[in-house]
Order: sequence, then structure tokens, then C-alpha cells
Amino acid sequence: MTKDLLKKKKTKDIKIYCDITKCVGCRSCEIACAVEHSKSKDIFSAIKEKALPKKRVKAENINNKIISLHCQHCEDAPCIKACMSGALSKDEKTGATLQDKDKCVGCWMCVMSCPFGAIVQDVENHIAVKCDLCPDREDFACVAACPTGALFVGTKEEFEKKVKKK
Amino acid sequence: MKYLIIGGSAAGVACAETLRKHDKSSEIAVISDEVFPLYSRCLLTYLLAGSIDESKLYFKDKTFYEDNNIKFYLCKKAVSIDRKEKSITLKDRTKISYDKLLLATGASPKLVDVPGIDKKGVFTVRKIDDARSIMKMLNKVERIAVLGGGLIGLRDAYALRQRGKEVAVIVKSPQVLSQMVDKQAASLIAARLEKNGIKIMTGLAAKEIIGKEFVEEVLLDNGEKIKCQMIIIGKGVKANTELAASCGLKVEEGIVVDEFLKTSDENIFAAGDCAQTYDIARGERRINALWPCAVEQGERAALNMLDKKIKYDGSLSMNSVDFFGLASISMGVTKPKEEKDYEIISQVKNNIYKKFVLKENVIVGMVLVGDIKPAGIISILIKNRIDVSSIKHLLLDDNFDYAKIMPLVAKYKDKFKLEECKDTIITY
Repeated sequence: MTKDLLKKKKTKDIKIYCDITKCVGCRSCEIACAVEHSKSKDIFSAIKEKALPKKRVKAENINNKIISLHCQHCEDAPCIKACMSGALSKDEKTGATLQDKDKCVGCWMCVMSCPFGAIVQDVENHIAVKCDLCPDREDFACVAACPTGALFVGTKEEFEKKVKKK
Repeated sequence: MKYLIIGGSAAGVACAETLRKHDKSSEIAVISDEVFPLYSRCLLTYLLAGSIDESKLYFKDKTFYEDNNIKFYLCKKAVSIDRKEKSITLKDRTKISYDKLLLATGASPKLVDVPGIDKKGVFTVRKIDDARSIMKMLNKVERIAVLGGGLIGLRDAYALRQRGKEVAVIVKSPQVLSQMVDKQAASLIAARLEKNGIKIMTGLAAKEIIGKEFVEEVLLDNGEKIKCQMIIIGKGVKANTELAASCGLKVEEGIVVDEFLKTSDENIFAAGDCAQTYDIARGERRINALWPCAVEQGERAALNMLDKKIKYDGSLSMNSVDFFGLASISMGVTKPKEEKDYEIISQVKNNIYKKFVLKENVIVGMVLVGDIKPAGIISILIKNRIDVSSIKHLLLDDNFDYAKIMPLVAKYKDKFKLEECKDTIITY
């Protein structure tokens, strides 16, 4: 993947897709995600942090088909509707589903309504945790870490075109 | 067009927001009889528990109404509707006309009919004023009795226990959360509450509230007396339908609406805790007085007030509770009456309980205690009425995740309504 493509950030049309045929379930995305959301952002320090950093992406499989799955930032997001504390909201410009951690009370209504199981509990801090699209970096940690090129950033058309080529 | 909304909570605000999103110029007004704007009722027990303060009660920006150019009436109560003239009258006799009206009048706490209920120290927890009054009195209180072992009663009890109070919950049914979960789940949840100092007394009801001016004791129907300085009634809610009924709209347990959330008057819609809608899992009309349902109905009502004619599929009852770190979620039918018509897949393992209720290979209900990870994934299988026969054996799997339903998403692509589900299976 070219550097430019890596640097694409989420806009209304652009999101992260996973090519199931390329994902080998190496969990590099999971580790990169956890490290990116650690205090130190360094793997060797991160594993010693008191509350271990939480990943927001998961390599899941069925019948040898593996997908790296994270929040899909749904346009009509069920989690936002379910959020009774106003912690989840839609960024109208980028289409991102954002979370205000200070407002989250850990009622798990979002966990209850996410069709992808992509919102998880941070039990230590009693708040929900989800993909925040790596606000501290120009690209996405999971995509940058993917060694097989399974994770792809772009429009749906671009992704479909790319996977059809093979 | 003039849009008018009665009720400024989940359904009302969601409706106003959606109307404004699609119609930048029409007049939109919201009337609320509350003293505090834009607060989340569900957060009141968190306020009571002391885990948040009042500044965190807002579920929208404080400037929501200004930002969206919506006229907002605070502390105003609508007392009548003139359907012919298409106007409503407030308690202060102000008349407001409308072209399309939404009733999002919510619900009120059910009370118990026992002598002494008017004594000082008896509360319900529904509005911010209730929470404020309770907190004002709290430092003089050591023992509290909660009447009702449903979701509301237990949440109140949990909150007050976190304030260090001695709390006893009086539950009429033989189990807690009898509307929400089965006996097995209830016993796990009750055990967690008891372990943390909340006394659960099942199969009992209050007979009399005793005291002079203030509450001193509650007499139970087995003759036992419990000392307490405060009583919380947490018996559930009933829909506020008076306004709708008084202008002749069709009302049963709630305001009756069609699949477009329209009442029996074509210019009046209803949404939220006051509306009786179709229940997807049960296949009958029912009130699901829940935040997510209210938001969804408010949005959908707005689209139909805008004449977009988009059907509402119905609501699914779902609840999430977390007491002392034990998270539980229930959905749909958790205790089928005619067991023989249903298939039950369940398991208790290491204090984790999972139960799935199926009818003709479609999941219609679920209970999860201790591990709630799969809840959302199951919710779309219930909502979209997916035949799960091919993945039934995986339901109890500790690693049940979205990938496990990918074959179903691929197979029944058109049944899954959420567009993003289709994105995940492009290369499946």
C-alpha cells in the first residue's frame, strides 16, 4: 500500500475494509491498536502499564475465514441511539462515531446494540471502549501494522475494485 | 410547516433533531414540563449514586435548541389538544398551533396503594426533582426500603447502596427482575446484590408505611416490620396517555400507533414511553419503555411527520444492567409461557449464564449474565428474524463473535438492514 493511501483519514466515504481472503489472523492489528491506545505508545512499556491498554479491533474467524473487525462507524449507528448518557455522537463531517469518555457511565447499552460486537467493556475504568480512528496519528495503527495488506483504507468502490482485480 | 413536540426527553429530542436535519426552515417547537432541559432520565440513579454530578446529566449539548433553531418551552405543561383547530393549550392558557404534532409524553412511576404512602421520606425516582429531594434528605437517612425488585427498584437500590446506606428491597415476585430475566439469571444477580450488602426479600409486599410525619417503618404482609427512614417506590412505569385520551385519540395501555407511528389522528404521532408499538420478538403490540426504542421511534416519527412514509419495524425489548461489576443483558422473550413451542439453549458455567430462546430456528430472546459480549450481534439476529439453524451450535461458545454470523449475513444479505453488515462480507 502506498504511503498516501495509508495517510487517508476517515471521511464520509472513506473507511477501513478488511479483505477476508488476505487476513491470516496474525493479530498484528490487535497489538498495534492496543499499543496505540497505551500511555507510552511503545509496546515494551505498554505491556508493563498497570491497566493494560485495550484493543478496539479483533481478528475473528469462522471456517478458516478470518476478518479483522472494528467499529464500522455506521451511518445510522444503533449505538448512538442507545447511548443514554450522550457519550456517543456522530461527527457529521467525517462520519466517524465518536465517544466522549468523560460522559460514558458504563451502562453497556452500546455493547447491547452494536451489531458487530465492536464496542467492548473496559472493566477497570468502567467505560465502553471502541475504535476512535487513531486521533493521535496521521494514519491508522491497525492498517499500518497489517503485514498482508488485508486492511485497506478507501472508498467502497476502491475496495471493490481492488479485490476484483485478483 | 409547523412542527410541535410535547416532551423533551429521548423521543422528543430525537424527533426534533431529525426534523431539523431534513427541514432547515420550518418552525419546530418542543414543550417540556420539566425544570431542567435535556437531561437523561436514565442517569438519575448515577446521580443518586454519586458517580456523576448534575453537569453530566445532559445527553445533548446545552445549546442544542439554539444550535438547531428549535423553540423550546421549559416548565410548560400541555393540558389540552384541539384536533379540529390543530392547536394545543398550555396550563398558562397559551395556545400553540401545529401542522404536525408529536406526543412524547413519556411515562410516570406506578405507585403502590398502601396506607401511609403520603408520609415524608417516600419517593419515586423519575424526574430530576425526585433525585434532588432524595439527596437533600440522604444524610439523615441510614436505612432505606425499596419497594419493587424490577429494573427500576434494583437500580435505585444499587445507587443508594453506593452511598453506604443499608438497603432492603421488597420484591412481590419470587424472584428479582421478573419481567426481564428468568429464575436462573435472577438468582445470580440477586446473589451479587446480597453479597454487596443489599438485602433482597422476595415474595413479600408492603402493607403499611408507618411513622408520624416521616417514615419510620414499613410493615410487610408477613407481619414483619422493617425500620427505615426512606422508602423508594420502584415499581415500573405507566404511559402518560391522559392528554391523548382527552382529545379522543385511541389509547390502550399506551397511545396506539400504526407502523408509521401515527395515532388515530393523521396529524398526530406518538413515540417513546407513551407509545404502544409492535414488538418484534413477541409479535404483538406492547410498550417498550426504553431509551433506545424512544430514540428510534422519535427519529422514525419525524421522518413520517415529514411525510417520507418510512415504516417502523417495531421495537425489541432490551435491557442492560451492571450491579457491582456483574453485567447482564436481556432481550425479547426470556421466559416463554408455552415452553414446548420454543427451543432453549442455555448454560451456566463459572457464574456465567447464557440463554437463548428460539422459535422455529429464529432467536426471539436472550439472557446473558456475566459475559455480555455477544449481545449486540444477537440483537440483529432477533431484529432481522434470521434462521440461525446453521450456527446454533456456536451460540454458547465463549468466542462467539461477529465472524460466526458472517455466513448468515452472506446468505440472507437482504434481510440484514444495516448497510455496514454488507461491507464486511464483500470478500467473504
